[in-house]
This record gives sequence, C-alpha cells and structure tokens, in this order.
Amino acid sequence: MRTRAILGSILASASVLIVGYQAGTTVTMANGISVTESSTSAGSTSGTTASGPADGTYTGSSVNTRYGAVQIQVTIASGSISEVAALHLTNADGRSVQISNHAAPILRSEVLGSQSARVSNVGGATYTTQAYLASVQSALDQAGA
Amino acid sequence: MRHTLETMGTVASIELPAGWSRELVAVGAIFDEIEGRFSLYRPDSELSRIASGQLVLAGASGELLASYSRALEWRGTTLGVFSPHRPDGVIDLNGIVKAEAIERAGAHLQAVGCPSWSVNVGGDILVSPTGGAQLVGIADPADSSALLCSIRLGGSRLALATSGSAQRGDHIWRGGSTEPTHFVQVSVAAAHIVAADVLATTIVAGGPEALDDVTTRWDVDVITVDRSGALRASPGLRRALVADIAA
Amino acid sequence: MTTEVRPRPSRALRHTGTTVADYRRNFSRRARLSDLLVMALWTSGATAAALFLASGGIDQFTSVAETVTSIGIVAGLVGTDFILVMLVLAARISIIDRTIGHDRAIAVHRSLGKPALYLLLAHGLLLLVGYGLSSGINPIAEIGPMLALPDMPLAVIGLGLLIVVVVTSIMAVRRRFSYEGWHLVHVLSYVAVAFALPHQLSVGGILSEGSGQRVYWIALYVLALGGIVTFRFVEPLVSSLRHRVRVAAVTEIAPGVTTIQFDGHALRGLGASGGQFFIWRFWAPHTWWHSHPISLSAMPTDNSARVTIRDLGKGSAQLSTVPVGTRVSIEGPYGLFSTTARTSGKLTIIAAGIGVTPVRALLEHATFAPGEATILLRASTPEETYHWDEIKAIAAAKGATCLVMVGHRPRGIDTWMSEADAARGVTLTSAFPDITDSDVYLCGPSTWLDLVEADVRATGIRPHQIHTERFDW
Repeated sequence: MRTRAILGSILASASVLIVGYQAGTTVTMANGISVTESSTSAGSTSGTTASGPADGTYTGSSVNTRYGAVQIQVTIASGSISEVAALHLTNADGRSVQISNHAAPILRSEVLGSQSARVSNVGGATYTTQAYLASVQSALDQAGA
Repeated sequence: MRHTLETMGTVASIELPAGWSRELVAVGAIFDEIEGRFSLYRPDSELSRIASGQLVLAGASGELLASYSRALEWRGTTLGVFSPHRPDGVIDLNGIVKAEAIERAGAHLQAVGCPSWSVNVGGDILVSPTGGAQLVGIADPADSSALLCSIRLGGSRLALATSGSAQRGDHIWRGGSTEPTHFVQVSVAAAHIVAADVLATTIVAGGPEALDDVTTRWDVDVITVDRSGALRASPGLRRALVADIAA
Repeated sequence: MTTEVRPRPSRALRHTGTTVADYRRNFSRRARLSDLLVMALWTSGATAAALFLASGGIDQFTSVAETVTSIGIVAGLVGTDFILVMLVLAARISIIDRTIGHDRAIAVHRSLGKPALYLLLAHGLLLLVGYGLSSGINPIAEIGPMLALPDMPLAVIGLGLLIVVVVTSIMAVRRRFSYEGWHLVHVLSYVAVAFALPHQLSVGGILSEGSGQRVYWIALYVLALGGIVTFRFVEPLVSSLRHRVRVAAVTEIAPGVTTIQFDGHALRGLGASGGQFFIWRFWAPHTWWHSHPISLSAMPTDNSARVTIRDLGKGSAQLSTVPVGTRVSIEGPYGLFSTTARTSGKLTIIAAGIGVTPVRALLEHATFAPGEATILLRASTPEETYHWDEIKAIAAAKGATCLVMVGHRPRGIDTWMSEADAARGVTLTSAFPDITDSDVYLCGPSTWLDLVEADVRATGIRPHQIHTERFDW
C-alpha cells in the first residue's frame, strides 16, 4: 500500500506542477503590449514612426511585483502613446485601486502655453550661487527687489 | 518685496508683504543655524564633526538627531530609495535639512501672522497657506533662461520641490549605482515641503518604478523630465498648469 | 504461564454478520483512503509550489537576485501549506482518525514540524537577501524597508512565535515542561498562523487580488480552520452537552489503580468501539485545566461508562480524588485499537498491567468463534491483576483461551516474559500457534511493549496485522 501512496503522490504532484507551469506560460506569453499588430518591437514608448504599433488600446498582462500585481493599459493614437493607465494595483490595504494619480506622458505642446505666464517664483533643481545668477529666478528677484 | 540671502551654498529668495521686512532677520537666523549644524562643507559643523569621528552620533544635539530620525523614517517609507547614508558611510542630511529650513522659516512667518509670503531656497518653494494662489514656474533643465511650464500653487499644494541631476553635485545616493538617472529633473508639488523634497529626490534616484510608487502612495503631483526631454505629469499637475495668458 | 480458560466445544455458534471477508474489505478501504490522505498531503505541497508557477514564476530566475527571491517565495508557500496540514492533522478529524488513527496522525504532525519551520525561515532569509540584492542594499539594511511594508511586523512576530513553538517541542526541551505548560505554548501556533495571514494576502504578487491563486489560498485556510473548529471545538461541545457525563463513583481496585464510573445519556450514541479512547476533562478545581486520553475499560451502556486509571504522575493522581458529581466533557472516540482495524477472524491479544483496560473493552465488543481468540495477561506481581477476573469471565463466555503470566522479568535478558516462563522456553508461537493468521493486539508500558512487538514481528507476520497502544504519556 505504501508503494501505491508514493507513486500516487509523485503522479499527482507532478500533474499539479505541470498544470501550474502551463498556466504560468500563458500568462507570460500574453505579456507585452503588441502581440499581433506589428512586427516592430513592442513596448516602444515614444515611437512616432509609421512602423510603430497600430492605433488602439492594448492591455498588458498582469505582472507580479512585490507590491502586488500591476497591469498597464496603453492607448496608441496617431502612432504614439497618448494614454497610459494602470489598471490594477493593490494598495497598502491589499485592495485594488484604479490609479488616478499615475504620471502619464504629457506633450511639450501641452505645457507650452504655460511657459510665458507671469510667475512669482521659479522652482528648479538646487543651483549653486553661480547658476542662480543665470537663472530666471534671479531675473525675477532683481525685478522685484 | 523680494529679498535674497546667500545661504547653504545657494541663494534664497524670500517674498514678504510691505512692512514685514524685519522678519528677514529671523528667517536668516534660522538658515544660519541650520547651515552651521548640517553643512558638510564646513569642518566645524556638527555633522562634519560626526563624519570625521570627533563627535559620536549619540552625543549629537537633539535637533540633529531629530533630523536624522526623520530622514530614516523617510528611508523606511521609500523602501530605501531615499537614504541619508552615503556609500562611504557618512551621514549626509542635505537631502532633508534644506527643506526643514524652509519648513521652519514658513512656520515662523505663520506664527508671527505674516499674511502672505513665499520662501524659495535654491529652487524649492513654499508659499503661505493664507496668501492665495501663487503662480510658480519650473525651470527647464535644458535651458536655464527658460521655463518648462508654470503651475498654480495653493490649497493642498503649498510646496514645490525640484530635484535633478543636471546642476549641483548629486546628493542623491543611489545604492552605489553610477549609472545616469532616468529622469534629469523631477518636480513634486505637495502640502509639505519636506515630503515634496524627499519624494522628488526619491523619484530621481529610483526612476520610473519609484515614480509610480510615489504617485500611488502619496497625495502629490509630479512632473518629470527624462534624458530625452520627454515629460510625464500627474493629472493634478496638468490641471494646475497655467493656461496660456497672452502677454 | 497458566491456562485459565479453555473453550468448551459448543454447537451454538453465533455469527453476528461480520465475516473475514468484511474485515478484508474494510481494511482495503482504509488502506486506499490512507493512501489518498498521503497523496493529499504531498499534492497540497506541490500545489503551493504550483501557485508560484501559475504566476509565470518559471521566468523569474533570470538573475541571482530573482532566483533567490523566487526560491524564497516558494519556500514560504510550501512551508505555510505544511503548517496548515499540521494543524489539520492535530485537529482530531474523525475521518483521519478512522483511517490512520490519531496516534499516526500525530506522528506525521511531529515529523512535519522542523521541515515546515526550516522552509519558513528560508523564506524570510532568502527574501531579505533577494530583495536586498535587487535594490542594491545589503540584507541587514533591507530589514528596515521590509518592516515598513504593511502587515510585515505582524508576520515577523508570527514567525518568532512559530520558532518558540517548534523549539519547545524538541524532546530535550519539552521534557522540562509540564504537559499543560508545553501545550499552552504550543497553542500559540494558531496565533502564529493568524499573524502571518495578512502579509500573505497584501504583500507580494502571487496571491494578489483577483487571482485564482488567492481564491485557492483562502479556500485552503477556510477548509483547514473550518475542520479544526468543527472537530476540536464544535463537535466535542455538542457531544458533551448531549451526553451530560458526570462522575458517579470512584473506586480504588488495587494500589494506585482506580476505576471511575460515569453516568450520562445516550452514551451508546457515542459510537465507541471496544479499545478506543476519549479525551476527558474533569471540571473540578484541580483538574479542569488539563485533559487526559483514557480508554474505556468496558463497553458503555446508554447510561453508564467506565474507565480505569493508574497513578502515573501528578495529573492522573489528582483524578482519583475527583468528587462524585463532577461534570465531565469528552472528545472522541478516537483510536484504531479496536475491531475496526481487524483483518482476520482470529485474535491474539497480549496485555500487561494497566494495558488490560482497552483490552477488556475490546474483548467485550469483539465477535469471534470459540477457539479463535487467545488472550495473554501479563503482570509483574499479583497486585497488578486488576480486571483479570472480568476478562477471564468474558473469555469463558465467548469461548476464548485465556493465558496468564505473572512474575518479574529475568535480570540481564531482554525479554518481555516472566523469568519462570522464559526459562521454560515459552515462545510466542508455542503460546499462539495461529499468530501469523490473526490480528495481534498489544497494550502495555512502552518498554515492555517494544520487546513484545519485536518478538511478534520476528514471527514473520505482516505489519498491518499488528495493533499497538502504548501506555505511558
């Protein structure tokens, strides 16, 4: 009877492990943004060439990180990425949250309009006194002193 | 009225309403105290004496220990990405004390009832909660004479801290890595200047993974510039962008 | 050794329906079920590892850091699975008891203890090293960020508790504690499991929200804890309330040996088979906080039951002083030392000292044809012959042969027999000519029993025909 138990255990365990492995490979095969659309490398984030991925919305597979599972949805418009959304992330409480605060790509043209505003202060990476003198902040300070 | 002070190796720009210029003295004193305690460029500062072994950490002043402990807390919550420890083992609190200086200056100005002020030390800005919205520009890392964009500060976004690898020598220690950072400049808008400063440093050091982590776990707004000049911004920051004002 | 009773040939042979074929069938069924249980144990471990594979884990071995982390994750999954299996084994679940017996379940439980702990320690260590390697900081520095993750401090405390539980269970350490003290510490393992669960569900990607793995994991916990709650708590409670057992009489029948008579309700409904034991808790001032496994020394009627205990230590000594009327809560019946384990029509029974207790009940309950059962009663001195009169009476009534052997063992020779009988050349086969065709039931003090069992095995009998109950806790 013991032999039966040993053989049965080996068989059952092996089956379970194979099933798990199979399930795992279908997860990783679905990885990547573009599966069937184009032959160029998937995942290019700033491609504006015509050979980039076709327009549409692509959902990547769920990837496990130590903070939880992350799944990204990318929207391609006019050949480049217009929207990146994280669909699935567990926050500290283990609850799924829709990421509303994700920093998505923004085009220079979108910020262009704000560059000529009249500001009272300028933020920037810490500059030395030398660099300060060449900065916009110093111009402001001189004007306002 | 705008006033400038040279302090902590950089320049501070402080805007005070008419008649409040006397507070400059107090603010200057705060900056001097902090520089005297924490500057690693001064051999007689408390932090330098600890670095050289003249003073043991356990014998340090309460203020230094408080700053150190605060830096360690941030190290914990950023999972090690922000760290007050240099690879050579020296404790470098520059990542936090400048912001603490701004924080204390702001607290002082509020305490004495100054109605509207802003404190800008080396590019990190804190504005008064009672002064109404202020328009603030963010420098373009590629062109020091131009702005990247401008945003509105106020409400729950009183502080704007910017970190980058473009200008001053890195006080961003990235686990011994010497690879160039993914982001050349990161600006974080938050309710508190220390949080904004630490998180901006964290994102520069940790790259895109840290960016997602920070925007998820903290209520902040971010705009980043990467090595190729491409930008990323959180939804809140987009909304805060100042619309095109003709002239 | 003298023969006290020889069966008289009788024409009135009564078969009560259980034949040898029935015994064989039961045995095969139990063997199959036992194999299924073993398979379930190992397969559950494999499933835990498969959870990792199902998340695409096979690809997570590309760098040293990743490999270390992956092994750490698998170690945690399998280790926790083993812990849950251990809890289930200790839960006295009736199907497990009926298949492999409570004693064997506990033996398996013990053997899983250290491996499970090693796996979980490896889990913690490897993840510190692995995450540290991938963040570029040393493992010691990684401790801080690890503890900053939600639910991690609790999990670390849980691991600490588990270490305490396992260390105190090592024989060398356990001996220093009273049974109750040790048991109290051991119960902390439930706390350890509870403390570890939150981090399993919140940290790491394998069991993340919405995954099938999470569903399986939670189902596993529900099953394990449900089984434990049902069989450790609910069932005994229901049983105690239903049968309302109380102490009816306490009688000393020999120096240091006491019988306790109970009265109760519907006691036959307990379904006890002769030779099985219950776990008793006497609700009197000095005895309520420990429980005892004691065999019935007679088959219960609807309203009465009896146990016989020997003064073996502080705990059992106090039992002989419980006042009449004391309420008793019971858990059971447990054990495979009964007719359920029979595989053949013949019985060979050898019992010594207090070991006659379950044998007395077994003999009363068993069915056999005259001449098919032989009992040997062993005692060192005539004071240790309690219940022998009852056994001889049952043997006479049922047509079983009853042999007695009184006398100390010879010095210097390793034998279970008395000096006189060993000198006379008595052997098992001379006393029990049909031993290899029968079910052998052995009960008595551990050291004596080991010698008998060795002798029995030496006859070439198949191991599954031997049933033992060791009596010194």
